[in-house]
Amino acid sequence: MNTEQLLTQAEDLLATWSKESTHPDPMRLDVVISADDLRAATQDLHTARWGYLSAITGLDLGIEAGQLEVLYHFCSGPAITTLRVRQPRDGEAVVPSIADIIPPASFFERELQEMLGFTITGLNNNNRLFLPDDWPEGVYPMRAEFTKDQGAPVPGRHADEMPDEGLINGNTFVVPIGPQHPALKEPGHFEFTVDGEIVTGARMRLGYAHRGIEKAAEARNWNQNLYLFERVCGICSHTHAMAYSMGVEKLAQVEVPARAQAIRELVAGLERVHSHLLWLGVAAHEAGFDTLFMYSWRDRETVMNLLEQITGNRVNYSANVLGGVKCEIGPEQAKAVKEGLSYLEGRIRHYLEVVTTDVMFLNRTRGIGTITFDEAVKFGLLGPTARASGLVRDVRVEAPYGAYLMFPVSAVTETNGDLEARFVVRLKELLVSCATMNNLVDNLPEGPLSVRVPRKIPAGETISRMEAPRGELLYYIKSNGGESPARIHVRTPSLCNWVSVLEKAVGSQLADVPMLIAGMDPCFSCNDRMVTVARPGDRQTWSWEQLRQHGIEYYK
Amino acid sequence: MANTEVFWKQVISKVRTWSRLNSIWAVHFNSGSCNGCDIEILATLTPRYDVERFGIKLQGSPRHADVLLVSGPVTRQARERLLRTYEQMPEPKFVISVGSCSISGGVFEGCYNVGGSVDEVIPVDVYIPGCPPRPEAVIDGIIQLLTHLQGGSRPTAKRPQIVEEAVA
Repeated sequence: MNTEQLLTQAEDLLATWSKESTHPDPMRLDVVISADDLRAATQDLHTARWGYLSAITGLDLGIEAGQLEVLYHFCSGPAITTLRVRQPRDGEAVVPSIADIIPPASFFERELQEMLGFTITGLNNNNRLFLPDDWPEGVYPMRAEFTKDQGAPVPGRHADEMPDEGLINGNTFVVPIGPQHPALKEPGHFEFTVDGEIVTGARMRLGYAHRGIEKAAEARNWNQNLYLFERVCGICSHTHAMAYSMGVEKLAQVEVPARAQAIRELVAGLERVHSHLLWLGVAAHEAGFDTLFMYSWRDRETVMNLLEQITGNRVNYSANVLGGVKCEIGPEQAKAVKEGLSYLEGRIRHYLEVVTTDVMFLNRTRGIGTITFDEAVKFGLLGPTARASGLVRDVRVEAPYGAYLMFPVSAVTETNGDLEARFVVRLKELLVSCATMNNLVDNLPEGPLSVRVPRKIPAGETISRMEAPRGELLYYIKSNGGESPARIHVRTPSLCNWVSVLEKAVGSQLADVPMLIAGMDPCFSCNDRMVTVARPGDRQTWSWEQLRQHGIEYYK
Repeated sequence: MANTEVFWKQVISKVRTWSRLNSIWAVHFNSGSCNGCDIEILATLTPRYDVERFGIKLQGSPRHADVLLVSGPVTRQARERLLRTYEQMPEPKFVISVGSCSISGGVFEGCYNVGGSVDEVIPVDVYIPGCPPRPEAVIDGIIQLLTHLQGGSRPTAKRPQIVEEAVA
């Protein structure tokens, strides 16, 4: 089905509930519905298997408008259907929960609740997701009138209330892991309830690295925000900057030169290689396979060299500007890229052999944490985690953008859905990326590197989707025609993939938990989490290192 | 008798300095960073930069660590955890603040959930600016610390100041 047919189908499905429907651009359908019909409309889309819920964006339309709005973005291939629900700003803004129909919605709804003050009826978990525990009640950072002073800590409370720990009853204990889970937007605190060695429950708390970037963006101009969003994540910084630029360029109706698009893709490809090799090393480290960790990080330096040679920086490259890129690929860089890639291809093939043949390693990965195709759909997984279960969720394939229109890639999938499949998918994907980059360097279009983008961006809203190394990244950008954005909402892939860890941890061995967490690549970049493990008759405190060691000993 | 005591004290102190200089164990704490600094810190431990040749090792538990490497602006939720990690470390302990946002808040200055710099929460011995600092810079910072320890003193680093560049 092409985009037009998909959108027509969605329009027909929603005809009963639709109060007003528009096409803001050829890829999108906006349907205004009332809050009472939301569940029925979602159910219809869900039953017809029309796409998946990609994000929920909350908007404050301003004090004068007196309204709040929730946008439910459903994506199917390149087509995006947005359900818009308006609620009064002053009274109680109530929307029903759709988390029982679409489980991943619960994270989005909790975010909506604490950021904009919606009341979500029927949500089974009302705990805070991002904001600290000493955040005052009734203060919502994404509301228009919010100032930093209003969020001052409530006296007598801790930013991070101590979790329950220890014996619950009989043989059941709560094992808190974290909060030092030093990932990007997703450092979290986990609580695993264990019965002996078996995990019987899992809970998660985010927000340790919550900085408030979305709010900060509203106070900065379009250009400054490019550098702010680059720092949402240090590992996939280029992807964030690129998704943001693509959105802003779409709003400004600026056509980016083909050469700039190709260079953007080249940097994004190199970033994917660096990110996956980084992950391979860290995941191997969690399994106690430090040799692989050191080797993959040694080879990763080849990519870091290339990135530095092209952009001038190893991390946070700032390759993008609004309207193009600022780095050129000359003959010297092209030669270096080709040489580096041919070396890496050999190494990646070697690693592929290692992760599929090393018996010790397979003990930790084969048949562990298996996610079936149906579960992957149900949990709303994205990126390589979904592709390992045979679910094609790859924006580069489903909705090609930028240079992928000229240099298409194919999706790599596996069917087993276990940890081994996730290793294989990521490594095979790198081979595809290397081939694409080689092709790109050989056939780099000629032309300028950038075009001018106005200082003020015309009013409007847009959705920019991109395939980050970890899955689909979605930017919702709204402009009021000023020098600063009215609202930018970022939905990172890891937020969706957490469900896979929480659901799969239940019923598995405690020793497998480090690998399960590493398996979804939650931007794991350092190892100083604290874990308190309490066991019957044996209360003790464990560091993450000890939990990792426990896993290694267990499988010896 | 007194002389022998002094002599042995000196010997022990020398041995202690020697062993400390050759086996710095570090614990890494992310207080809300974007991960850029964290991956560069990890890169310094891996074969190309290999700080293990100086005896430097990343340690999981703060109770075994000599040096605390902090990256990122201190978010409200991470603040108490940072303090607790620092307090768990045995004396003498040293803190290295890695990256621009751990020094001044950097690009996140003014965000509602960001408290400010690391040195407002715990005392800092060495500052390593950069967004993120290169592994060479991280090594340089650690060596600065080691040089001071060799001389038997704590580093006396001042927080780097932001120089306003003239607009051309």
